Amino acid sequence: MTAPFEMSDAASLGLALLFGIFFGLSLERSGLGDPHKLTGVFYFRDFTVPKVMFTAIVVASTGIYLLSDLRLLDLERVWIIPTFFWPQLVGGLIFGVGFVVSGYCPGTAVAGLASGRLDALVAMAGVSAGSLLFAMLYPILEGFYLSSDRGVVTIPGLLGVSHWVVIMSLIVVAGGMFYFLERMEKRENT
Amino acid sequence: MKKETYWSPYVTGTILGLTLLASFYAAGRGLGASGAFSLAAGVGTNAVAPGYAGSLQYFSRYLDLPHPLLDWGLFLIIGVFLGALAGALASMNFRFMFDKGASMSVRTRVFSAFGGGMLIGFAARLARGCTSGVALTGGSQLALAGWVFVIAMFASGFLFAALFRRYWS
Repeated sequence: MTAPFEMSDAASLGLALLFGIFFGLSLERSGLGDPHKLTGVFYFRDFTVPKVMFTAIVVASTGIYLLSDLRLLDLERVWIIPTFFWPQLVGGLIFGVGFVVSGYCPGTAVAGLASGRLDALVAMAGVSAGSLLFAMLYPILEGFYLSSDRGVVTIPGLLGVSHWVVIMSLIVVAGGMFYFLERMEKRENT
Repeated sequence: MKKETYWSPYVTGTILGLTLLASFYAAGRGLGASGAFSLAAGVGTNAVAPGYAGSLQYFSRYLDLPHPLLDWGLFLIIGVFLGALAGALASMNFRFMFDKGASMSVRTRVFSAFGGGMLIGFAARLARGCTSGVALTGGSQLALAGWVFVIAMFASGFLFAALFRRYWS
């Protein structure tokens, strides 16, 4: 039987809870419940965010495409996020400002609250309010929200190369970045 | 300065990556944190003003369901809270506080946390996800959407931080 698996709603929600626990544990144990560490990358003083993020992306992308090539995982049945180019670009730009201003993103705010930070609870209320604002403005925003619909586009598909070319490039770039960051931090600490 | 007890980011990044991989493998979907906040906004509005919530077309995706709270993203977020709480308690890292930049007043921090949170909540709906749902999940799928979002997020974050240098430092 090839993954992903058909399962009952209860099993699916149980898995969500389990994956969430490991997700939250890895965020908190990285120190990513702390807004000083979360925003550190933007001030060039703490690089935990890119280190955790790119390590996770390299591990997961290698795993997904390896399992797919071994025919253990059917990528056709994995939900891949579709590209809506302009809304995602503009969304990313607004998100970056919100990230620095609040010091959190949605998942890390939950980790912040779980480590005792009450400002994270205020940020969480803000995230919900922002979602409500979006729903209120949706009639005006719908045209833009649904624009530049490119469907599922992957970078290997776009470039017409094997996914391993992209993953190897990613590993080289991430590895180079980690090496550079470690050297820089070591120099600053001595 | 208290001593930090955090784990290596390469270790936690590997745990996070394996969790993401397990989610793709078993459930055919990635991790996403912002959806639960939008669901909470929809269900919350519906509890206070059902007529108004019903008139918001975007929320029909939650409110038309027989059991909107039996939601993957919501259970995931409950798990995130429990996992982070376990990590913070086990490492003696749990401490009640109102965290803010050194030069910020409490009032500024309330506004910045809420206002920045609003920008994030709005932007995540527009982009169809956040740092986890689009950046991590899409990024590891090598989806164009994920990389467009990651690059835009870091670009505007660096630009904003350069303009407001003393904000968090």
